[in-house]
Amino acid sequence: MEGQVFLLACIFTPLLGAFLLPLIGRFNVMARNICALGFVIIAFLAAAFLLPRAMSGDPLLIYMELPLGLSVGFLADGLAVFMAMTSSLVASVIVLYSFGYIEHYDNQNEYYLMVVLFIGAMMGLVFSTNLICIYTFWEISAICCWRLIGFYRDKDIIRRADKAFLMTVGGALLMLVGFIAIYIQSGTFDLLELKGTSMSNWVMVLVLFGILSKSATLPLHTWLPDAGVAPSPVTSLLHAAVLVKIGVYVFARLFLVNFELDVVWQTAVPIIAAVSALVSAGAALVENDIKRIIAYSTISQLAFIFLGLSCGNMVGAAGGLLYILMHSLAKGGLFLCAGVVEHSLHTKDIRQMGGLSKCLPVTCVAFALCAFSVMGIPPFGGFFSKYMVINGAWELDPWIAGVFIFGAVLTVVYLLRVFVKVFFGPVSHPDIREGSWEMVFSVALLGVLSLAFGIFINLPSKLVSFIIESIGRW
Amino acid sequence: MGVLSDFINMGNGNNLLYTMILLPALLAGLILAVPRLNYRLRSMIFMAAVSLNMLFALGVFFGGDMTMLIPWAGFGVNLALRVYDFSALIVLAVAVFALLVGMYSVSFLRSKDYSGRFFFYYLVTVALVNGAVLANNIVVMLFFWEGLLVTLFGIIIIGNREKPKAALKALVLNGIGDLLLMLGVIITATSAGTMMMDGISDLPIEGVGILGFVCMMLGAAGKAGSMPFHSWIPEAATVAPMPFMAILPAALEKMLGIYLLARIALDFYQLQPGTPFSLLVMIIGAVTIVLAVAMALIQKDMKKLLSYHAISQVGYMILGIGTALPVGVVGGLFHMINHVIYKCCLFLTAGSIEKQTGSTDLRKVGGLGKLMPATTVCFIIAACAISGVPPFNGFFSKELVFDAALESGIVYYIAAVLGAFLTAASFLKLGHAAFFGKTKLPEGVSEDKVKENSGAMVTPMLILAGLCIFFGVYNAVPLGQIQPLLGEALGGHDYAGWPHSLTLVVISVAVLLLAAVNHLIGYRLTGEGLKAVDHIHYAPGLHSVYNAAERHYFDPYDIVMLLINAFAWLSYGIDRAINWIYDAAFVNVVNYVSDAAKRINDGHSSTYMKWSFFGVAFIVFLFIILV
Repeated sequence: MEGQVFLLACIFTPLLGAFLLPLIGRFNVMARNICALGFVIIAFLAAAFLLPRAMSGDPLLIYMELPLGLSVGFLADGLAVFMAMTSSLVASVIVLYSFGYIEHYDNQNEYYLMVVLFIGAMMGLVFSTNLICIYTFWEISAICCWRLIGFYRDKDIIRRADKAFLMTVGGALLMLVGFIAIYIQSGTFDLLELKGTSMSNWVMVLVLFGILSKSATLPLHTWLPDAGVAPSPVTSLLHAAVLVKIGVYVFARLFLVNFELDVVWQTAVPIIAAVSALVSAGAALVENDIKRIIAYSTISQLAFIFLGLSCGNMVGAAGGLLYILMHSLAKGGLFLCAGVVEHSLHTKDIRQMGGLSKCLPVTCVAFALCAFSVMGIPPFGGFFSKYMVINGAWELDPWIAGVFIFGAVLTVVYLLRVFVKVFFGPVSHPDIREGSWEMVFSVALLGVLSLAFGIFINLPSKLVSFIIESIGRW
Repeated sequence: MGVLSDFINMGNGNNLLYTMILLPALLAGLILAVPRLNYRLRSMIFMAAVSLNMLFALGVFFGGDMTMLIPWAGFGVNLALRVYDFSALIVLAVAVFALLVGMYSVSFLRSKDYSGRFFFYYLVTVALVNGAVLANNIVVMLFFWEGLLVTLFGIIIIGNREKPKAALKALVLNGIGDLLLMLGVIITATSAGTMMMDGISDLPIEGVGILGFVCMMLGAAGKAGSMPFHSWIPEAATVAPMPFMAILPAALEKMLGIYLLARIALDFYQLQPGTPFSLLVMIIGAVTIVLAVAMALIQKDMKKLLSYHAISQVGYMILGIGTALPVGVVGGLFHMINHVIYKCCLFLTAGSIEKQTGSTDLRKVGGLGKLMPATTVCFIIAACAISGVPPFNGFFSKELVFDAALESGIVYYIAAVLGAFLTAASFLKLGHAAFFGKTKLPEGVSEDKVKENSGAMVTPMLILAGLCIFFGVYNAVPLGQIQPLLGEALGGHDYAGWPHSLTLVVISVAVLLLAAVNHLIGYRLTGEGLKAVDHIHYAPGLHSVYNAAERHYFDPYDIVMLLINAFAWLSYGIDRAINWIYDAAFVNVVNYVSDAAKRINDGHSSTYMKWSFFGVAFIVFLFIILV
């Protein structure tokens, strides 16, 4: 029974706790902030407590049957716990960072409500065993993301928030049609019952619309760079902890664990990913807005994850899963660093920046650590995952591997371009200072974690090996 | 914590191996923890680290074969380390140069504010190089190898934070090389069916093996600084802290790159003499020799001149190994050791000059022979060694490479000899300008301020110069270590002692004399040592080629970046086009449809009546048809 408490706490503390935050905020701002952080940390700790049970091979299941083949169920298996821990870890750091970043703006109550609800939706989604539950949490996250992107309320910003909402919800509705088709075919939405069946190709297309629009993959990606108008912790949350990871997680859940992926898609998804990786990397090299560059980099790196998950072999899948973690840490860090820079300089244009390493030394080092990790340079976390993904791609098809090597070269070039332009060269703003301690601590923590998970790769890879083994496909 | 102690205890008696990696890395971290102003403590930790590393390297060298394995990233990637004769030799050599250059650096960097960071990166570099050499799992080797990108970038950028171009270039070029290596590693490990390096042997170079071999070879040669991955080195020379040049591009990177290249040729793949792949490697070597030395010839800055030579000399090693003949491989490896000794020494003499005068630009500095006698002597010995003057070490290894080149094709021999001629010519010019003739100093530096450097800086130079002589005269000592590495492939030859082919020696000496004559002619024509090669530089035809090269028209980095940027703009166009669909096309279609719907709903009841009528008629029509 004890385990069930943790599972419920992990989902419902942030999901329901979020609604308390505006009330607390009316009386005490500080208490509200601490509660927000506390709820997310509780989710993380609860997920951590679920880990041993998940690793024992007998995952915890809370299940309730409803009429018409419907059900509500939460399953804490290795994959779910892995994703929950990754998301809630990065999300806790982001919430801490928000304390410093957001304190001068209006609508803070709504901000914390939406952020924590967002994380709650993510927790609910990762543990769900039912397609309708997945869809519900999916749409809750879309609403949160819509409010958060439009946080500053300018006309243009609202337009972009609408764009993000329409694109992701449009995709999700198509996915819902796909889910209903599955229900008509098999009479159930329950993933446990559907395990091992295969999906017809047109249903697969519908579901992919949802996944690719959520995970911002070409050609359904353009809302993500536009979403850079949101406050930096929000963009960080979208890119690292929750939103775009929903797509890749559901892909892993459906096509690694549950359904058999048709051979056609083992070629088609890598090709979509390859095009996405290259086009967005190219765009990142041309853009001058620091947040747009990092956003394009997310699109490009998500393609590496999709490649790993779809290439149909063990090492690729392991690389894809590991990269979910490494990319979350590093990309979260990059956006938070961009936030520090933006907060101090009041601009996002890298042409107006330069030589900031003198005034922002910690941010500079944290940015470097995270950027090296995304580039896939050891001893940072990104190295092993990128190596494994490309190894998996090689076993699938040499050309795909070649394309992704080129993608990795482009990654090095565009990230280095931002890093060097912003932090080195002639000094543009000689008298700015680092952000508040929460902000500096957060970026430093994510940078250090990116490094630590590279050196102690044995920790995450143990869990990932377990997940891969329990899938037992290869 | 349990994981950490597992990590440490798994060594089972072979703790020495991971100590070689952990110790420098941990002490590097400790240096950053020491307050910035306490230079004394920082430099003491630093010296302790390089000395201990030397001690452990000796232990490894004399400790015999050892292996260890710690489970690490899973999926076959175990932290496997292995000492055997080859890796032990390289580890020892790395430790020697790390100690000598380290000693020099402590004195050189005393007043620099970046000294702490320099020490940090330096020690991490040593740790990573040790790891890459000792690794017995090919992915772990790649891990340490690629990790050097970080220290390379860091160490260049601390020299001058306002001019990050050189660091950027270094990271991009090396990054491309390393990603090719990554692909090569993947292919090699997949086709061998194992990641353990002692289990990968004699893969055929055919089918995917071709791609695997070429990628790995390019990665290894690129790390050693061969063309086309070279152009960051001269640029880094102008901004990076001086000892960096002596330790990384001149020493550790060369040893690492050539070590792997030799492993590829000797162990991993079946590289046979006369095959297209042997020719490919030899062509890379020959082209690198000639083009880089041609650029070195016209440089006016000592650091830049030396860095082009650091590129050119690697061509000899690659050429030697590429022949796949035993004499070539032995020559290539011997040349690597020799190169590291004299090039390290040469960079240190350049550093001495910079420390005293603040510049290495030969247009501002010159004729320092009397003021800095020890530096001058070291320079002359090292310059003789690099030019291949008997009986210095460079002579013997070059003769071996010449021998192998001639056996493989006269073109390669000619390229190698041409390289030797230009090398000698450029060092005559450099030595003449820097140490002889009238004393020249930059403005604001008076002659009585310029004197020989402290013992801490001179001693490493003297030791290296001594090694240049020792490894020449007693070349049986180094060759006795190198030749057994080939095992049976050596075929019972012994290349120690005086070169076997007298004809080749005569030609080499004649080439040196020719270089001397050339120098005299040039000196007579211009009256200045520095301009002694101007008659080559400004020769008709060559002049315009040199101009284009100086403007970076042939810089592979610029060419690659041009292509990448073109690709980027194309992608950006595609991206914007897709965005247009959502931002404009989609919105316009929706607006158009809603406008049309609005026009239909114009509020007149007659219109609605018409619609109702037509609607009912349509339904009736359908009904009739269907029923």
